[in-house]
Amino acid sequence: MSILSNKSEKIFIYLFFAIGLFIPLFLEGNTFFINKFSTIIILAIFVMSLDYLVGRTGLITLGHAMFYGLGGYIFTILAPEYEAVNFWVYTFYVMLISGFIALIVGLIVLRTSGIYMIMITLALAQMSFYFFADSIEYGGQDGLFVYIKPETSIFGLNFLDLENETHFYYLCLLSLFNCFVFFKIIMNSSFGRVIDALKENPDRATALGYNIFHFRLIAYVLASSLAAYAGYLFALQFGFVNPSMMSWDVSATALVMALLGGLGTIYGAIIGSFVYEGLHYFIEHLTEYWMFFMGALIIALVLTLKNGMAGFLNTLSGGKRS
Amino acid sequence: MSQTILEAENLCKFWGGLKALNELNIQFKDKQLHSIVGPNGAGKSTLLNTLCGAYPATSGVILYHGKPITHLKGYEFCREGIGRSFQKTNIFHNATCLENCCIAAQQRIGGNFNLFRKRSKNRQITEIARKALQQVGLTARADTRATEVSYGEQRQLEIAMVLATSPKVLLLDEPMAGMGHEESQTIISLLKELKQQYCIVLVEHDMDAVFELSDLMTVMVDGQHLITDTVDNIRNNPLVQDAYLGNDDEVF
Repeated sequence: MSILSNKSEKIFIYLFFAIGLFIPLFLEGNTFFINKFSTIIILAIFVMSLDYLVGRTGLITLGHAMFYGLGGYIFTILAPEYEAVNFWVYTFYVMLISGFIALIVGLIVLRTSGIYMIMITLALAQMSFYFFADSIEYGGQDGLFVYIKPETSIFGLNFLDLENETHFYYLCLLSLFNCFVFFKIIMNSSFGRVIDALKENPDRATALGYNIFHFRLIAYVLASSLAAYAGYLFALQFGFVNPSMMSWDVSATALVMALLGGLGTIYGAIIGSFVYEGLHYFIEHLTEYWMFFMGALIIALVLTLKNGMAGFLNTLSGGKRS
Repeated sequence: MSQTILEAENLCKFWGGLKALNELNIQFKDKQLHSIVGPNGAGKSTLLNTLCGAYPATSGVILYHGKPITHLKGYEFCREGIGRSFQKTNIFHNATCLENCCIAAQQRIGGNFNLFRKRSKNRQITEIARKALQQVGLTARADTRATEVSYGEQRQLEIAMVLATSPKVLLLDEPMAGMGHEESQTIISLLKELKQQYCIVLVEHDMDAVFELSDLMTVMVDGQHLITDTVDNIRNNPLVQDAYLGNDDEVF
C-alpha cells in the first residue's frame, strides 16, 4: 500500500490489525479484556484525530475533549429513549452536527494561534463541561443513559449486534482502521500538501497565495467530528455519557498519548494509546501510587525517545526520519 | 516603450510615528529590471512588503495593470501574479526542492480542497514545478530535501518557488544576500534571463550586481523617492552620491 510512508509504519499497521483481528479468538469470551481493548481502540481514534490536528496541522488545542463529549451527548439527546435506532444513520447525524459545531467553534478559535489558541480552546471546553454539568435537563453531573443500543442493519442486512462485546470490538477495530486510512489519504492529497506547507511555514504559505484560515478550518472540522465519533462509540460501549468526558484532563491525557506515540505520525496515536493504557493497567495493579510512577515513566520515555514510540520504531527498522 | 504593470501612487506606510514610506510614487514596467537602492532604513523592504500585500498600506494606491489592488488581502496579491521572494531564506525545509515548487504551483492550478486525490497524481503541477526548477538550474536537486542543499541553492529555490506561482511581477528582496562571488554570478545570469520575460523589482545591496543588471534604478532615502533614472545617470548624479555614499565632509 503506497499510502504507508515508511517501513516501521507498514510493519506496525500489518501486525496490529492482524493481531487485532484474531485476538478475540484467543480471549474466548473473556469479556473484560475484549471490553478493555474496545475502550483503548476508541481512545486511539480520539487520539488520532488530535494527533492530526496538533502534529500535522500545527494547531495545538487543549479542548479536543469537548467534541469527544459532544459526540456522546449528541447521540443520547437525539436518539429516542426506548427505541433502537440505526447505528449508521446516527453516525451520520453525530458527525454532521459535531462538524457544524466545530465549524462555528473553529471560526472563533482559529483566529488565534499558539498559546492563545490553547487557552481559548480550553476555555470553550470548560464552558461546555459546566454547561452539561449544571444542566438539569441533560442529567447534570450524572449525565444521561443509553438504555437501548442501536441496531446496525444496512440494506436489511444485520451483521453486528452491539450488545455483544466481540461484535462491538470488531466495530471499533473497523472504525480505527477506517480513520487511519482516511487520515493517510488526506495527508497524501493535494489538500495535505497545503496542510504540510502551512504547518511548517504559515507565512510563506500565505505569500504563495493560500488563505491558510480556510485550510485550518477544514482540518479542524474533520478532526473534531472524528473525535465526536469516538465519543459516540464511548457512549455506546458504556451506556452512558457524563460531563467528565469533556473535562480538560481528557484532552491533556490524549495529548500525552499523542506525544508518547510520536506527534504527527498518525499510527503513533495507536501506539501511544495502547502503551499509555497498558502502563496504566499494569502499574495500577502494582501500586496505589500509580500516577506518580506513570508520570515518571512518561517523562523518561518522552525525553529519551525522539519523536515518540513511532520515531523509535522507525530507527529500529533502520529508516531515516521521514 | 513597454507598458507599466505595477504602479504605486502616493503610497504611505507608517509604523506609528515612523514614516517608512512617505508619499511614494513609482512605476514598474514590463520586461524590465528595476532596482531599488538606498541606505539602510530607507524603506526598501517595506516597499516590497507593501507591494506584495504583506503590509497593508496606510494610504495611497497600488495599481496593477491600471486596476487598484490596494484593498486585496495579502494572499490575493500572489493570485493576481505578484510573486515575492524573501530576504531571509523562507522555504519549506522538510520538503524536497520539487515539493517546494509544487506547493507554489498548486495554488494556481487548483485542487487545494481535494481531500482524496493523491497529490502526485496531478501531473500539471509537477510539470510547472519541474520547469521552475529547470529555469533556476536546480533540476539535479529536485528530490533532495531543501534543508540539505547549499545556501546558494536555497536562494535559487526561493526564486524557483516564486516562478512556480506563474507571476507577472517578481519582487526580489536581496536574492544575493550572504552569497559568495561565484554564487552571485549564477543569480546574476539567472536574473538576466528572467528579465526578458518578467517585470522584476530588485532590492539588493550588491552594487556591482545592481549596476550590471538594472534597466532603471530608483534611489530611496528616508521612505521617500529621491530619483529614478538609468544606471549611468544615477552613477553621476551628485544628489545620489550625497545621499547614498555620504558627502565628503564625513570622510576624514
